[in-house]
Amino acid sequence: MEKRSILHMLDPMPNNSPFDINMAMDAGFDVLMPYSNVKLDSVNRLTQDAIFSRSPAGIKRTGLFIGGRDLELVMDMLDACKQAMVPPFEVSVFADPSGAFTTAAALVACVEQALKTHHGKELKDCRVLVFGGTGPVGIATGIIASLAGADTALVDHLLLDSALDVAKAFNRRFGCTLKGECARTEEDKAALIADVDIIFCAAKAGVQVLSSAVLKAAQHLKVVGDVNAVPPLGIEGIKRSDLGAPLVNAINSPGAVAVGALAVGDVKYQLQHEMLNFMLSTDKPVYLDFREAFNKARDILIQKK
Amino acid sequence: MEKPFILHMLTTAKNLSPFDVNMALDAGWVSALPYINVEASEVQGLVQDAIFSRSAKNLKRTGIFIGGRDTKQAMDMLKTARRSMVPPFEVSVFADPSGAFTTAAGMVASAEHELITKFDTTLEGKTILALGGTGPVGQAAAVIAAQAGAKVIIIGRQLEKAQHVADMCNNEFGDGKITILAGADADKAEYIKTADVVFATGAAGIELLSAELIALAPQLKVAADVNAVPPSGIAGVDAFHNGTPIQGSNSNAVGIGALAIGNVKYHTQNSLLKKMISSDKPVYLHFEHAFEVAREYMATRR
Repeated sequence: MEKRSILHMLDPMPNNSPFDINMAMDAGFDVLMPYSNVKLDSVNRLTQDAIFSRSPAGIKRTGLFIGGRDLELVMDMLDACKQAMVPPFEVSVFADPSGAFTTAAALVACVEQALKTHHGKELKDCRVLVFGGTGPVGIATGIIASLAGADTALVDHLLLDSALDVAKAFNRRFGCTLKGECARTEEDKAALIADVDIIFCAAKAGVQVLSSAVLKAAQHLKVVGDVNAVPPLGIEGIKRSDLGAPLVNAINSPGAVAVGALAVGDVKYQLQHEMLNFMLSTDKPVYLDFREAFNKARDILIQKK
Repeated sequence: MEKPFILHMLTTAKNLSPFDVNMALDAGWVSALPYINVEASEVQGLVQDAIFSRSAKNLKRTGIFIGGRDTKQAMDMLKTARRSMVPPFEVSVFADPSGAFTTAAGMVASAEHELITKFDTTLEGKTILALGGTGPVGQAAAVIAAQAGAKVIIIGRQLEKAQHVADMCNNEFGDGKITILAGADADKAEYIKTADVVFATGAAGIELLSAELIALAPQLKVAADVNAVPPSGIAGVDAFHNGTPIQGSNSNAVGIGALAIGNVKYHTQNSLLKKMISSDKPVYLHFEHAFEVAREYMATRR
């Protein structure tokens, strides 16, 4: 009998995310095992316990998933997993903290596509702001956009230092060129968005970040993308299912288009599903993070065309 | 391919109850995943994570269970969970902290069954003592019985605590529409004179009602005890009793033991867990729904 597929779900948080649980189950893993409050120094032992208890054939039916909220810690854990492997005792590992990597990959890929379709431009031609830029989705969005060549700033809603610290840490780690900004007030936001091309909204669910009044300040806005699916949405006037629909509230940026949370969610869903599936179907173990997620998100959008 | 049934099981405690896990898997949930030490503030995030990761169709195959030990916390979490839904992204939620809601429902429905079949009467207007009634099962039983029209008195060792629990039950669970009273354990001999029904829901191994007091009860009809560990909570009522006459009762009272209650509780919890799966629209289940199901089940036995 074929061994059942097992996904060991490591999470530094007190609990796994129900989102990841649903996704892993739906991708075909037979058994999900949560490991919560996992510390970086336990990752080596947990990984080796997972790889040495099944034959190389059984190991193909075994995977590790890394969740959490802290992106640096998650990437450290992914590295620790890789180092703990003893080929041929080796399993695939997929890091997707709070779904941030797949959400960010889907968000940037959708916005990139809208940018091409409606404005004939590439990310590298653009100035980009990421609101909610110091949360997991915001940071991953910023890194992906920056690595794709966009002039990208992470925006924190309270402290400039938070944004600057995060930008510096990830620039060092991934060789991107993130900047940091802070927008506490409507005036701050208006000043920041005046001449950007792209706005990503990755703030908390149910929080409106940009009102119509603020959007008026944008002079060159081309595409906005929002991942907030809980009303009020992150950007006034956006609809959750928008995929390149005009953002009429940006009255001084005619031609600006919007990508809403459900449009992003559709791609994210398919993306995370495919990545989890890939862990089961691949012949060689794979290590998956936001980079693979973005490549795959781009593929998905090309196929959808 | 149909997606597997997933039950996300939230508890404020540091572990789930294996009872609830077995029950969930036996009711047809394919996968039961634990979320432990959950705080009220985390419920919205967990719920929204659960609802946005499946299509509306497959959300019917997804559910949330709320355990823990504290009844008010569980009811608050149920309310928060319900408020966190974003239709059509919505799933069923069932709160049953420590199994207290289904246990209480089983006990009250069993007591009602005895009143109907052996005394030709109902819960309406009956005086009920909830002995050791400040815990989760006692609270839920008091509220269920009061909502069915009984005059319930929660009896505790400390009157002040009993009063606090009674107030909480009236306001939080009864929406101010019920009036559960409180009494001190020291005054039991007085209260037993007017009692029609007694629930014993104290800690295992403590006798809450002695043979002397049972003999003194002129109108006692039913005594139900959820404690399965000897000595029983009510003298003369053992775990296997199921409408069995209590020796020494001068009012021909009958006893209901833990195993009889447990049987109804088991059926009730199983039905509600299945209802989450079979219901076309999302349902939000707590002690009221548990009592409905337990009552229907007892009615089939008449």
